[in-house]
Amino acid sequence: MEEYNSGDEVIFNSDEANTIVKECIEGVIGGTDYDQSKVNQWTANIVEHSLTHLVKQGRPFKYIVNCAIMQKTGAGLHTANSCYWDTATDGSCTVRWENRTMYCVVSVFAVAVAL
Amino acid sequence: MFPLNLQTAFIVEEVSKIIKESVEAAIGGNAYQHSRVNQWSTSVVEQCLSQLSKLGKPFKYIVTCIIMQKNGAGLQTASTCFWDNSTDGSCAVRWENKSMYCIVSVFGLAI
Repeated sequence: MEEYNSGDEVIFNSDEANTIVKECIEGVIGGTDYDQSKVNQWTANIVEHSLTHLVKQGRPFKYIVNCAIMQKTGAGLHTANSCYWDTATDGSCTVRWENRTMYCVVSVFAVAVAL
Repeated sequence: MFPLNLQTAFIVEEVSKIIKESVEAAIGGNAYQHSRVNQWSTSVVEQCLSQLSKLGKPFKYIVTCIIMQKNGAGLQTASTCFWDNSTDGSCAVRWENKSMYCIVSVFGLAI
């Protein structure tokens, strides 16, 4: 059973998560144009890489990572989320990224685990 | 693995029904309107969340909603979760009408 870092850092650090997610997005789709045949594997790669890096931090959290990639054609897109949790320890962070041909929105939700 | 107690398990059919009702109530019968979509997505997630918390189960919930105008654009979403497979669960519902798509996901994490 993995040992968590107990005592310190039981609050979700949203800036760190922001940095991790930005790097993952750049790594997967930075410099590419929207490609319908590849978008499936891009979203899967982005969520998997982000999750792996977050879990590596070894903090006592459960994570949910969500990614949406949309082609730029002028359509309107709106996203919203609402959470029922412990506001003292849980948190989320959303990263919006775009290039010439597509938008990418990634949300990370972290819920503290009772030890 | 079967949930030992139905009153503390995440039941997908129950949650799916709540989501469908919330979406219908908030945007059923409306056409996409840029000026109102903000309040629609907020209203969908808040309705879902309040119905879910009324179930009285020992869960933390995360509800997300995406509303997209139908105009030929491609949209792909994915999500992955690091949790306890025996107690936690998720449910996603895709709804559409003539002018827009609405995708709602609910994640339930056992306390």
